[in-house]
Amino acid sequence: MRPDEVFFKIEKQFKDYGSRARQLHKEGRKIIGYVCSFVPLEMIAASGAIPFRVRGSIQEPITLGDTLLETIVCPYYRSCFDLSIKGRYEFLSGLVIPHACDSMVRSYSVWSYSLPYSYFHFVNVPTVCEESSFEFFEEELKNFKKSLERFTGKSIQDEDLSKAIQLYNKNRDKIRALYELRKNDPPLISGTELTMALTAGSGLPIDESNEWFDQVIAAVKGRGGSPLSKGPRILIDGACIDHIELVKLVEELGGNVVADTICNGARDSFPKTEESKDPIQALSRRYLDKLNCPKTYRANKAGTFEGDIANRFGDIGTYAREFRVEGAILYVYKYCDPFGFEVPARKAYYQSIQVPMLHLEDTYSAGNLGQLRTRIQAFLEMISR
Amino acid sequence: MTEQQKEAKPKKRMTATRAAASIGPMVKSFITETLQARAEGKQKLAYTFIVCHHEEILRAMDVIPIWTENFAGVCGAKRDAERFLQRAESLGLSRSLCTYALCGIGFDQWREELGEMPPDSPWGGMARPDFMISSGQILCDPRSKWYQASQQFMPDVPIYNIDLPYPLFQRDQDHREVWGYYHKYIVKQLRGLVAFVEEQTKKKMDYDRLRELVDLSDRTWNLIDETYRLRKAVPCPMGTGDAMNTMVPICFMMATQKAYDFFVELKKELEEKIAKGEGEVENEKYRLMWGGGLPAWYALNDFNYFNSKGASFPVETTYRMVLPLYEMDIPETKDPIEHLAWRWLGYWTFWYDKARKRPDSEPDVERLINWIEEYKIDGIVMHEAFSCRTWHVGLIWQLHQLGKIYKPIPLYVIGKDGKREIVMKELPSLILESDIIDITSYSEVDTRNKIDAFIETLESYRVNRAY
Repeated sequence: MRPDEVFFKIEKQFKDYGSRARQLHKEGRKIIGYVCSFVPLEMIAASGAIPFRVRGSIQEPITLGDTLLETIVCPYYRSCFDLSIKGRYEFLSGLVIPHACDSMVRSYSVWSYSLPYSYFHFVNVPTVCEESSFEFFEEELKNFKKSLERFTGKSIQDEDLSKAIQLYNKNRDKIRALYELRKNDPPLISGTELTMALTAGSGLPIDESNEWFDQVIAAVKGRGGSPLSKGPRILIDGACIDHIELVKLVEELGGNVVADTICNGARDSFPKTEESKDPIQALSRRYLDKLNCPKTYRANKAGTFEGDIANRFGDIGTYAREFRVEGAILYVYKYCDPFGFEVPARKAYYQSIQVPMLHLEDTYSAGNLGQLRTRIQAFLEMISR
Repeated sequence: MTEQQKEAKPKKRMTATRAAASIGPMVKSFITETLQARAEGKQKLAYTFIVCHHEEILRAMDVIPIWTENFAGVCGAKRDAERFLQRAESLGLSRSLCTYALCGIGFDQWREELGEMPPDSPWGGMARPDFMISSGQILCDPRSKWYQASQQFMPDVPIYNIDLPYPLFQRDQDHREVWGYYHKYIVKQLRGLVAFVEEQTKKKMDYDRLRELVDLSDRTWNLIDETYRLRKAVPCPMGTGDAMNTMVPICFMMATQKAYDFFVELKKELEEKIAKGEGEVENEKYRLMWGGGLPAWYALNDFNYFNSKGASFPVETTYRMVLPLYEMDIPETKDPIEHLAWRWLGYWTFWYDKARKRPDSEPDVERLINWIEEYKIDGIVMHEAFSCRTWHVGLIWQLHQLGKIYKPIPLYVIGKDGKREIVMKELPSLILESDIIDITSYSEVDTRNKIDAFIETLESYRVNRAY
């Protein structure tokens, strides 16, 4: 496929998110939706079902969702619920929700009683990261396995899981390869393109997603240049940002988005699962330890505040060096307790690594873009001086 | 920084019981005790949270708990939280986060900056802890984030974060299939807490004492349950307004003889009132359930307002943190830690079996249904506090589901042809909106207008009920 065709397809796949899953559903495949990075996708894939990341939409006003779910819930999550209840994901056979944040836990019944899917499962991810919690999580993963087996009627063997682990690791390698293309100055792939490509990939079966990323990598390399002009190199820090508007704004205003810590970006895609271990143990380690989400409490082993933030947010520093970041935008949703309580500590960390940071609190609504534009513009001007 | 003036002191809420009236001085005294202990330096002080089933461990090791949610609630009730909330905001914390936590973090930052209590701190302020015990539950994110945020201002104070999960209700799975590994994990977490406290206090756990305290708590649990069940009486002798006071021994004083004695007295008082036919309200017209949400601590007078309209609250889901142990599936064990873990699981899964039996029911909805019937409830009131997702998400849906599966109420109405006909209606409900301690979110006029409209609905149901 020619590079221009691939870039056209990226945009199309992003806009028609779910079209492939819908088609596979019609062909008789079971599509299982999930929210959040804590759902072990390898397990779903090993069961023969296809995991599909449920998205929200900042353009679509939340209406029906508000009749069942309080407005004090994370606005991103409310939007996912609103679209689901409006039938946007009618092709799903089931949905898996993990213990990530209160918004997810406390609304589990709302989702599982209000949506017409025949399968629901809650994965209880521990809050702490220590030996006993890995043991617990392994048992919880075995329970998830049993539950999927009951639903799909397929017994999941260790070989199935190992194969799925390998496929997902390959996927992460490919995404990492895409990120490598951001190291150029200006980056060879824009943040907007990358977000669209990753989002499109998360709506495909894993083997197709791997092929998809091969095409994208080849297209970016074959384009022979950057779609952006040189500008301040920006890292986006935050939770799940499944829309392109924020990144697009930064790039329209002259910035280059070159790195992130977000759930549908580096947080989810960089950590790999160990292939040499027992698959359940390996998944337990990956999802509990390697996913660096503020939801997981990590004990302060350093005994100092500086040491603690260096441990907790060290990945930010690593990415900042690796991708030569000149400024960061900490984008936090209103009502997000896990991220919200970390804002002062994250601010302190950015100061310690001398990366200027702009903190934005947002309500996941296109109506706020004007305000965001003004703040981002001022920030980019400040760091460009 | 702008430090707002204190709001005008609220009028004292009238209580129905002597026991509830005695709570204010009790809270003041245990806050004062923590300050004294800090000054004397003989006992270790720990920041911690309610509903962790760990009081027995702390008390057995002579650790004095500082209930940080309680202090924030006191600031709220005294209408003196705003200056601490503003301080937290100035650090970069959003007002949309748990305002208990914001108040606590703002207070901690101020106290640490000054090296002494902030000026005119409510009831002398919150003492600096020796360590903090936070809690990652399947319940409340701020519980594992709050102390971590406070530690920025007191990095020398260590944290032990105890993980206390419970199996979430899943319609297609009996929780007993999984609770073995939940129990094993919780036991390990509690043993980890014991080891941490031993290290901090340089003392070994006295397991005989722990066993005695667990037994005391268990007896108190059952006593509280028996006491609260007395509120089924018509007229109801004690309402939710009072229960927002009597939650103090339940949440902050378990594993103490004082808590047990308190409920012995309260039970006696309620029995006397029932014998005399004395109700919370002189002429009880409506029996309401506080069906969800923490109260607006600065506006507890609203309960008196309900009372003034003839409405009483015989039951509430909030702070009913005990359930009868003899109705739980708790395996026999001599190990007090194992028992604590079973009690934890027993409490959280209490309604699961019943919910599974009723088509389309769910534990929270099932509890509403059971208590509507047991306490002869005419309507449900809930409070949605904007800053707390823990207790305030799912309330709208619970009412929606209740309306869907619970028997409707037959009411006479005048039909189109002018003839009287019967229509079936759902149990009336009201959702109030504000916050736990952020008074800026509260409007007394709006709240009372909503209450007035709700009372009119209740009256219309009362008058037009067909059968």
